[in-house]
Amino acid sequence: MNYSIETENLSLWYGDFQALIDVSVKIPDGQITSLIGPSGCGKSTLLRCFNRVNERYGNVTTTGTIEILGKNIYDADVSLPELRKSVGMVFQRPNPLPISVYENILFGLRIHSPARSITRTASDQIVEEALKSVFLWEDLKDKLKTRATSLQLEQQQKLCIARLLPLKPKIILMDEPCSALDAKGTLAVEELMEALAGTYTFLIVTHNMAQARRVSKECIYMFLGELIEHRETQALFETPEHPKTADYVQMRYG
Amino acid sequence: MNFPMARPELRKKIVLQGVAVLIVGAVSVFFWNDLKKIAATHIQTASASPISSTLSRLLSDLNLILPISLLAVLFGVACAFYLEEWLSTTSWVRRFIESQVAFLTEIPSLLYGLLAIMILFIYTGVFKEIGTLPPAQNVTAFGLDAVVFQRHPAMFSAEVFIFIFMVMPIAIKTTQEALRSVARPIRESAYVLGANHWQVLTKQVVPLAFPRMLAGGCRAMSRALAAAALLIGIHIPNHTTSPRGIPDRFMLFLGGALLLSTLSSFLIETDDPATARHN
Repeated sequence: MNYSIETENLSLWYGDFQALIDVSVKIPDGQITSLIGPSGCGKSTLLRCFNRVNERYGNVTTTGTIEILGKNIYDADVSLPELRKSVGMVFQRPNPLPISVYENILFGLRIHSPARSITRTASDQIVEEALKSVFLWEDLKDKLKTRATSLQLEQQQKLCIARLLPLKPKIILMDEPCSALDAKGTLAVEELMEALAGTYTFLIVTHNMAQARRVSKECIYMFLGELIEHRETQALFETPEHPKTADYVQMRYG
Repeated sequence: MNFPMARPELRKKIVLQGVAVLIVGAVSVFFWNDLKKIAATHIQTASASPISSTLSRLLSDLNLILPISLLAVLFGVACAFYLEEWLSTTSWVRRFIESQVAFLTEIPSLLYGLLAIMILFIYTGVFKEIGTLPPAQNVTAFGLDAVVFQRHPAMFSAEVFIFIFMVMPIAIKTTQEALRSVARPIRESAYVLGANHWQVLTKQVVPLAFPRMLAGGCRAMSRALAAAALLIGIHIPNHTTSPRGIPDRFMLFLGGALLLSTLSSFLIETDDPATARHN
């Protein structure tokens, strides 16, 4: 089996506080992996290590290695824009840019290509493809010029996924992508993830254990910065090996 | 579509705006020479004509306030961007500037007036020099006889100095608040697409924070305009025709500064209910 992400003894400190303790994990290619655990256990921190957005806020120290697609992302020759191009990220609250739907989808591409290098026909096609792959084309094809922030939350979240696609990422990180959505929106986003799972590797942080069970093939349980258990979802939920995992998944804790 | 219905209204608006522009233009062309004369010098009417006197005061103050406060706002915005976007929160430069800004924004405008008096008048000895300024000249503006007084250079620098100290801290503070109002995940959405800092600022943060930044700029400018009253206080030595020694003039000065700064701080606080509650 191929692994998209491999970490080796990854530790991370915010100032004096150690948020991750010797995490070694291998995330397989082309499937959905979920990260569960109580609040403050380092799930989001781990997720945010993979595209290095953590270190933007200073005061962060990291040790250990993270290999993404076989390349250590802390090597000196790694360019952050290129890394973030291949590792997309979706946030808890949909956060489209305050520009039109059309420009939102092209935003990433415009950043990474020289000015005026994308022709009108090419851009039309890119937008159509991206919207079609997140099942938004039918709803939005007449609203391409509207401000993205005026869409429904569910559509905004799908748009946030759609705008990653023109960059052709390999991995998509999701930090509680459904917690701001209602049941219908959650279902729509989950269906979308399942449809895209073959092409992209998904890593999803969730507080909703039912969701982890529904969508993910493998599941990682974290507790106070440590990786406690990483197994197939079914097995982790039904026959947890570690007592701490058992406490959490059987709702005796958290 | 309701576009055809909206159209006559639009036309009416454009016509009205056009007429307004024409009127303002005609008036300013007609009175251009008078206006220039009034703005360039500080005029006090020889005869008791309150209109000309008030107008000249207003124009010469606006002449000073608008460019300076605009500059102060611009510098304040630039400074806030530097503090908020380029300096880390732990940097001592940032902490130092922020504490100074917090200190300066809380100072009532009375103290600025006192500062002007203490430093720029007493220590530079302007009081002694006022009597040695060139004698008053007679001019005619708006068909009225008026007397021109020269403005002392130190007075000008006092005004500029006090203005910058009054306007800039507010501009810095409000801009910083505006930049902070753009939540971290919203900035990150552009970072994770691979944008660099500049692209995030221009495409994401500034468009979102712009209304607040504008409001902050307006607040700073309104404080500046309210403080224009203070400037009249600074002008008082110019307008007491027969000074009777320094103590008298100083008391007059203090009284004027006190009155006007109370008025201006009242204006500032009623101007924004949120700030009034805050204080």
